[in-house]
Amino acid sequence: MEKRVTFSNYWLAGLFIAPQLFLVFTFFYWPTGQALYWSLTLEPPFGGGNQFVGLQNFMAVFGDAHYWDSVIRSLVFALGTTAISVGFATVLALFADRGLFGHSIFKFAYFLPYAVPAAAVGLAFRFTFTPDAGIFGAVNHIIPGLWDPSRNGGQALFMIMLGQAWKMAGYNFVFLLAGLQSVPRSMIEAAAMDGAGVFRRMRDMQMPMITPTFFFLFVINITDSFVDSFGMIDVMTRGGPSRATELMVYKIYLDGFEAKDYSLAAAQSMLLMLLIMVMTIFQFRYVERRVHYN
Amino acid sequence: MVERTRLFDILTQIVLIIGLVILFTPIYIVFVAASHDFKTVNMIPMPMLPSGHLWENLTKSWQQAGFSHVMITSLIVASGVAIGKVVLSAMSAFSIVYFRYRLRLIFFWLIFITLMLPLEVRIVPTYAVAANALSPVQGVIDFIASYIPQVSIQLPEWNLLNSYEGLILPLIATATGTFLYRQFFLTIPEELAEAAKMDGAGALRFFFDILMPLSKTNMAALATIMFVWAWNQYLWPILIVTDQAHYATAAMQLGKVVPGPSFGEPPVWNTAMAATLITMMPPLVVVILMQRWFVRGLVATEK
Amino acid sequence: MKKQLSMALVAATLASAPLSASAAERVKFDFWYGLTGALGEVIANQCKLFNESQDRYEAVCTGQGGYDKAEQNTIAAYRAKQQPALVQLYDAGTVNFMLSGAVYPANKFAKDFNISIDWSDYIPAISNFFGTSKGELWSLPYNNSTALMYYNKDALAKIGKSEPPATLEELTDDLKAMKAAGYDCGFGINFDPWVSLEQFSYIHGVPLATKNNGYDGLDAELVYNKTKLVDFIKLERSWVDNGYAKIMTQQTGKSIVESFADGTCQFIYTSVGDHSTITQTHKDSVHWGDAFLPVFAGTKRLNSAIGGASVWIMAGKSHETYEAVAAFVKYITDSETGVNYIAHNTGYIPVTKSAFKILSDQGFYKDPKYAGREVAFASLTASEVTPLSRGVRLGNYTAIRSAFQSEFQSILNGQKDVQAGLDDAVKAGNEILRRYEQTFKGKELP
Repeated sequence: MEKRVTFSNYWLAGLFIAPQLFLVFTFFYWPTGQALYWSLTLEPPFGGGNQFVGLQNFMAVFGDAHYWDSVIRSLVFALGTTAISVGFATVLALFADRGLFGHSIFKFAYFLPYAVPAAAVGLAFRFTFTPDAGIFGAVNHIIPGLWDPSRNGGQALFMIMLGQAWKMAGYNFVFLLAGLQSVPRSMIEAAAMDGAGVFRRMRDMQMPMITPTFFFLFVINITDSFVDSFGMIDVMTRGGPSRATELMVYKIYLDGFEAKDYSLAAAQSMLLMLLIMVMTIFQFRYVERRVHYN
Repeated sequence: MVERTRLFDILTQIVLIIGLVILFTPIYIVFVAASHDFKTVNMIPMPMLPSGHLWENLTKSWQQAGFSHVMITSLIVASGVAIGKVVLSAMSAFSIVYFRYRLRLIFFWLIFITLMLPLEVRIVPTYAVAANALSPVQGVIDFIASYIPQVSIQLPEWNLLNSYEGLILPLIATATGTFLYRQFFLTIPEELAEAAKMDGAGALRFFFDILMPLSKTNMAALATIMFVWAWNQYLWPILIVTDQAHYATAAMQLGKVVPGPSFGEPPVWNTAMAATLITMMPPLVVVILMQRWFVRGLVATEK
Repeated sequence: MKKQLSMALVAATLASAPLSASAAERVKFDFWYGLTGALGEVIANQCKLFNESQDRYEAVCTGQGGYDKAEQNTIAAYRAKQQPALVQLYDAGTVNFMLSGAVYPANKFAKDFNISIDWSDYIPAISNFFGTSKGELWSLPYNNSTALMYYNKDALAKIGKSEPPATLEELTDDLKAMKAAGYDCGFGINFDPWVSLEQFSYIHGVPLATKNNGYDGLDAELVYNKTKLVDFIKLERSWVDNGYAKIMTQQTGKSIVESFADGTCQFIYTSVGDHSTITQTHKDSVHWGDAFLPVFAGTKRLNSAIGGASVWIMAGKSHETYEAVAAFVKYITDSETGVNYIAHNTGYIPVTKSAFKILSDQGFYKDPKYAGREVAFASLTASEVTPLSRGVRLGNYTAIRSAFQSEFQSILNGQKDVQAGLDDAVKAGNEILRRYEQTFKGKELP
């Protein structure tokens, strides 16, 4: 995407971007460079005397069947949560944008989940999804053993997906609503006068107008589900049962920081970055084409 | 509103109420847990109705975690991150979208890639940087100097441990904001910049007088999100703050009152959840305050 | 003994005397700890008491939000030359610290700073667990526990018994009888390797790994898929399959401790550290007791081993700081202000024989709140410590534990055959060990 009209004061351009670049270099690239170095060596936890081992760490990762499982799982997880969360938030935002009686309360309340710290989310979900109490207790009463995420890996993954989608729903809602609010009211009114029904207007007018927001949210949600699902998993399943919820980042955390094998973790971090990069480039290259700017 | 059909209004309300229930249940559970005493909160299943111990639990956890002090620290940190993010991202996005120079795309991707590796998995090397934030620059200087004989520049050390800068700066160094502004700037009609140029306004004027006022809603949304995000940061503060008397944050205290899984200690969920409620309050207030900027809600501002 | 007590007295007098020096003149040092919640408060309070007991030094104590985080943060801090002077480190981190070159060995420290610690006073199961191959203690035992079997007295009475089972065969019969008597959950089981893998192997005297469970070298290999452990895991699996045992974890809704305290499950294996939790949270209708972990009939029972943490002194601090640290080390190793303080305020055991004696003489274990905890002491001293009941010293042990744990989950959930699961866990664990050995090539365990 390019702007036709641009300015030519390049000193100013440089000045404007310099602080951000400095921070990113200092707190991201330098440490990440170090991790890259570790991925090619064997790094003892306390440092000192690492040996260069070439691609041995990567080979160890590729040779591990559990690793490939975690990659597939992460992809399913990313696409699933993003679809659930953005879809759900879109419905709510479209309806809330109608501005009926009492909607200011809804607008405020929908954001709340994002403000809840991970530890509390874990507890709340533990109560909500427990097989012998609450809603699912009732379900299990009718059909015994139907819901048990502590034994059924698929259900456990689904539960975490709901947790992540729940957390991000508030986030998505805020940006979608902000986007919808900036769609000129006059356009909607004009369309209404031309006889376009509510659903038509939502589908043909409002949604296309906020495609840049959608694109932003897709990218953010997908990356976030890769990188930020850590807290949720740590509180809810710790990767179990039998690794069924061991996503890529959680595996990195376990291998690197619980087991102190920094090199193995670094190799996986590099691969994770590469994967997200490929996915993002794909999104920019193919999905952004459909985005309707201006 | 444009038009009202009774049936559709009812549908709208139903959808919104269902959404509310779904999103609210876990928070309600936190609230209920905070209102029970130690014994009932550990009953399985936990009662679904609140009880009368809320105030008692709130006072207890308020004192236990020393919230009077840590709230202020958290406020400074979260505001710092929110403001810093809003300002820096607007600037960098402006540079990327409204200027055409060769490094532009590279810069964008350099910033953008930071979304892809969370702090959690690069925390050890990041900590080393925080101990001396100028060490990367020093590293680059040393590298360059190694090719130039008899030149060596020694930068001073800049220790970020136990400081507000240390709590704020690394959290600002991500791409969410830049990306959001980029998305927004791209939707702004070309005519605006054209007209501004025609009027003889420079890039700076255009940025401050036209772009920034237009970005208000997005800015408010971003600031809110970042405030909450920074407020709930846990891993990073606990690592770089050892002087807890001065720099402890609210979320850190929360980590202390929420029982860990492995110590066989009694799970004092009631006070832990009371602490959660307290910790959640400031972000909520911010949401309420900021909302009038990005939600048409009560005051209908036509555009 | 007398000397220590009089020192505590002096400390107490000092505490009541007005403090002459202001906080600014005190020599400060950092102590990072891993315990959280109520237990973390106990540590924080100990620091406070220390700071009030004298006016020259100030311990700045910081909870790191978990054992693993305490270790991780200390390593990160050391790499940036910002390490604390002292850190509380869990059992599984011992190898990393021994090989790190980043620590000031406690025994050397005590000698250098004239601290009289009676090393032989530590319970052998503890000093052996943390000790080097030469039997030296590089860290200070701090908060330690061992595993016990907790049982519901009423459920036992209902099947006509008054004593808890001492053998696994007997326990299996009891569970069968309980199921017949209508109990839904005879035995609450979770996937904790510390109990099902490690403690079982110690008390039965079977190896987890070669080289005396790793104490004799980094080239050790896991062998637990070829020992009596296989029979035990098969037995546990059969309990679950027959409905004698039920899986109880945070994820199923409540932990084994919760399900025991509310009367759902009649037997559990867990740490003596949970004694205080159960005392505080059990339903009034639940009458309970604790006992040794049962063994297979005909086994000569060995001592169980410990879990928990010790305190390490980090290298690279100034002499002045170390003098302050020395005062703190004295304080936390003292029977009164240190060892018994922990035993009184938590479920952990007193780590020295003399402290145990003081407590017993004071009638601590007669107090209904604490009665039953002496079983832990008896379990740890059930035999002379042998090379196989000493403990385990394997690199990246947390990873080896999780490899076991995820296979154990598959086994108990009936998704995998017992032998196949254990074989896979051992195979994964051995790969971890080889990586560790390669990373520390040329280094030897002290």
